[in-house]
Amino acid sequence: MIGIIDYGMGNIRSVYHAFEMIAAEVTICNNPADLANAERIVLPGVGAFKDCIRNLRAGGFIDALHQAVFVQGKPILGICLGMQAMARRSFEGGEHQGLGWINGDVVHLQPSDVSLRVPHTGWNDIRFNPECPLFEGLPAAPDFYFVHSFYLKCDDDTDIVATCDYGKPLTAAICRGNIFATQFHPEKSQDYGMKLLENFINWKSSC
Amino acid sequence: MLKRRLIPKLQIKQTRNGTKPRMVLVTTIRFEDFIEIGDPISQAKIYEAQAADELIFLDLDAALQERAILTELVSRIAEEIFMPITVGGGIRCNEDFRQLLSSGADKVSINTAAVEDPDLIRRSSDSFGTQCVVLSIDYRANGNGTNQVYIKGGRVKTDMDPVRWAVEGERRGAGEILLTCIDRDGTRLGLDLQVIREVAKEVSIPVVASGGCGLASHFVDGFIEAGADAVAAGTYFCFKDENPMQTRSQILNAGIPIRLHS
Amino acid sequence: MKRCTRCVLPQTHETIVFDNEGVCNICRQHEYKQTVIDWQARKKDLENLIDLYRGRYDYDCIVPFSGGKDSTWTLYHLVREYGLKPLVVRLDHGFLRPNLIENTLRTVRELGVDMHVFTPNWKVVQKLMLQSFLEKGDFCWHCHAGIFSYPMWVAVNYNIPLVFWGEPSAEYTAYYSYGQAEEVDEKRFNRYINLGITAEDMFVRLEGDVAERDLKPFSYPPLKLLRKLNYRSVCLGSFIPWDVKRQSEIISRELGWKGDEVENVPKGYEYEKIECYLQGTRDYIKFIKRGYSRPCHLASIDIRNHRLKRDEAMGMIETHEGKRPPSLGILLEYIGLTEQEFMEIALSHQVSPYQHDTGKTMPGKKVHDFDSWPRYGAMPRKQAEIQLERWNRRNEVFLRAAAGG
Repeated sequence: MIGIIDYGMGNIRSVYHAFEMIAAEVTICNNPADLANAERIVLPGVGAFKDCIRNLRAGGFIDALHQAVFVQGKPILGICLGMQAMARRSFEGGEHQGLGWINGDVVHLQPSDVSLRVPHTGWNDIRFNPECPLFEGLPAAPDFYFVHSFYLKCDDDTDIVATCDYGKPLTAAICRGNIFATQFHPEKSQDYGMKLLENFINWKSSC
Repeated sequence: MLKRRLIPKLQIKQTRNGTKPRMVLVTTIRFEDFIEIGDPISQAKIYEAQAADELIFLDLDAALQERAILTELVSRIAEEIFMPITVGGGIRCNEDFRQLLSSGADKVSINTAAVEDPDLIRRSSDSFGTQCVVLSIDYRANGNGTNQVYIKGGRVKTDMDPVRWAVEGERRGAGEILLTCIDRDGTRLGLDLQVIREVAKEVSIPVVASGGCGLASHFVDGFIEAGADAVAAGTYFCFKDENPMQTRSQILNAGIPIRLHS
Repeated sequence: MKRCTRCVLPQTHETIVFDNEGVCNICRQHEYKQTVIDWQARKKDLENLIDLYRGRYDYDCIVPFSGGKDSTWTLYHLVREYGLKPLVVRLDHGFLRPNLIENTLRTVRELGVDMHVFTPNWKVVQKLMLQSFLEKGDFCWHCHAGIFSYPMWVAVNYNIPLVFWGEPSAEYTAYYSYGQAEEVDEKRFNRYINLGITAEDMFVRLEGDVAERDLKPFSYPPLKLLRKLNYRSVCLGSFIPWDVKRQSEIISRELGWKGDEVENVPKGYEYEKIECYLQGTRDYIKFIKRGYSRPCHLASIDIRNHRLKRDEAMGMIETHEGKRPPSLGILLEYIGLTEQEFMEIALSHQVSPYQHDTGKTMPGKKVHDFDSWPRYGAMPRKQAEIQLERWNRRNEVFLRAAAGG
């Protein structure tokens, strides 16, 4: 059972239907208690960082997530703002604390090449670590859909499993143990996105 | 590398045929002369299968109807379509944004309401993020080398120039510009490259160009000559043996970075 | 017109992309097919798939059947190699040739199989033919849509979940590659089979000329129904390497399958496209739109299989392509158009950069059974005019707009 966290931000519907389309059992988690039913968790997100953290806190999700992810070891997939929330802090609209699961900060996209527009909107290809189970069965440089103005700048490269090029390499996906996250939207990336979601569902924590 | 985008434009309207009310997809010519060409859900699924990069849905009856029709359509589409969707047509306030975004739309396009109440751009981008706000600009040529922005589906002339309005829209918080040349809409004569180029030069947000594609080479021109980030086409795929996958190959063969289908 | 440096497909071919050596993606797909795919593993996949369904239903599978070389081979292989009990399903598109009918009789009697034939309402078919020719420059919508959706309704209605098609599309186009599992499903139907028009869309476009339920055989069953069935709809050519020449030889030997003369197709290719007597006209329209047709496809496949050299291929297509086929007269009767109207419509669908020169057209040869092809059911001109008038009205607006009006 996949549990999608609904904290009032993010296109829950699209994520829900995407899992439905790949014939997964999926449910919406409106409150922390619902997490108990989920074997795997998805944290979507669209909008502003500070609202995201505030809503998660107000919904009582912060502790429940900590419990599920670090104590129970449930696999979690963060998407877009959901990935950024996992950072130490973000500089969007001031400085705000994140969940602190990943050693990195969320900073504004400022490509030195002025022809590169912000937000980074559209399909961009990623280079990924072939060992990472999220990308199994995908061709060498698959395109995914990105739409963001801020990105997760990791302290070091160990957590980064995929990058995309936008003036310079940007973090496209991270993985640490049972924590997965993507800057791009797999639920908006058609066939390759669906494959990635399938891979997330099938991932077994043996590594 | 970021790819250019190919975006089918789907315009919906109440049908003129038959006894049952039904929303159908139409193409337009210069914003008049509607031709009914299909069912919105069916066509959305087709474009999904053909790996279009995004879809734009415009409710042309929006003045007459509430957002309920569009919201319902978006909900049904979200069940089977897994690519970004922009929705527009009669959007007037943040509540409209909220309804559509939570039904499954990724971006909401505002046109008349933004001209009548420019603060809406700031309010909506503050609430939902700039990436959700598309400023849709329709314009016609004046005949003396200048252009004019029109609202209310091309029926009411404003005193604004499309390039200046695009710049102001960005300043106020829009995340993308959807630029449509009414004179070329549905004519299949090619895009209005000059104006697109000017807008693309003046703004630093993505520009989606629309109005006039009739050949694959028109798309190529829009990307190379005019510097558009994306080209939207309403008529192009409907009356020819062409589909996004074929067009995409032709664009690739011209050396433009565009996603090769899944 | 730019052509692949290896085969002879031109840039107007659907989905073609040339790499920096000028070699097309279809050729590269073929390389992949020959060198990268583990056909042993794929064969095992086929056996596993068959085992999931064998013996559990009234029929082990459905084999959609035209009677051409591919569906005949598919049927033959599944019955003889795997001992399956298939339900053979044919959609009678209306233009079956006498030799094909005889081939079919020989095949089904020799193999011993049940066959289900559906012939759609001719009056509906005619309207669909004219409408799709107007809208997409291709009069075969009823056939494309019907062939791929009707058998799925049979699957649903008769509870036969496994459907085996023949040739994978990667042999011709890059809508799918050999690397991907090509499921013959609604997505594929929408991707390129139905010309971008579903039955629901056709209903809107015809503005009430046909009823919704008249279009049901051409509509794809809802995914929910198919999933309930636990369906799988696959190409045999995804599991075994497709080789049309070899396969044709085998069915000729084992089933007495005979090839046929086809309009504008050179000698030596009698195994190809023998099912439909309007095939020559279909090819002619393709030539008007895209500047190439059947001989180019045949030559390209032969080049890839090292059976033909490129300069020989160019010679062949120069000799055989672009001639006006006698079957065109029959099509014009069936859809109620004059030849001038036909040409005007076909020309409006040209794919850039090809520009057709009508002045260069030579007449093509009649094939041997031409006089035996049925010519019942010409379209009344008044009906054609209803559809034509709509199209003309729309085009007038385009032309006026183009003239700055």
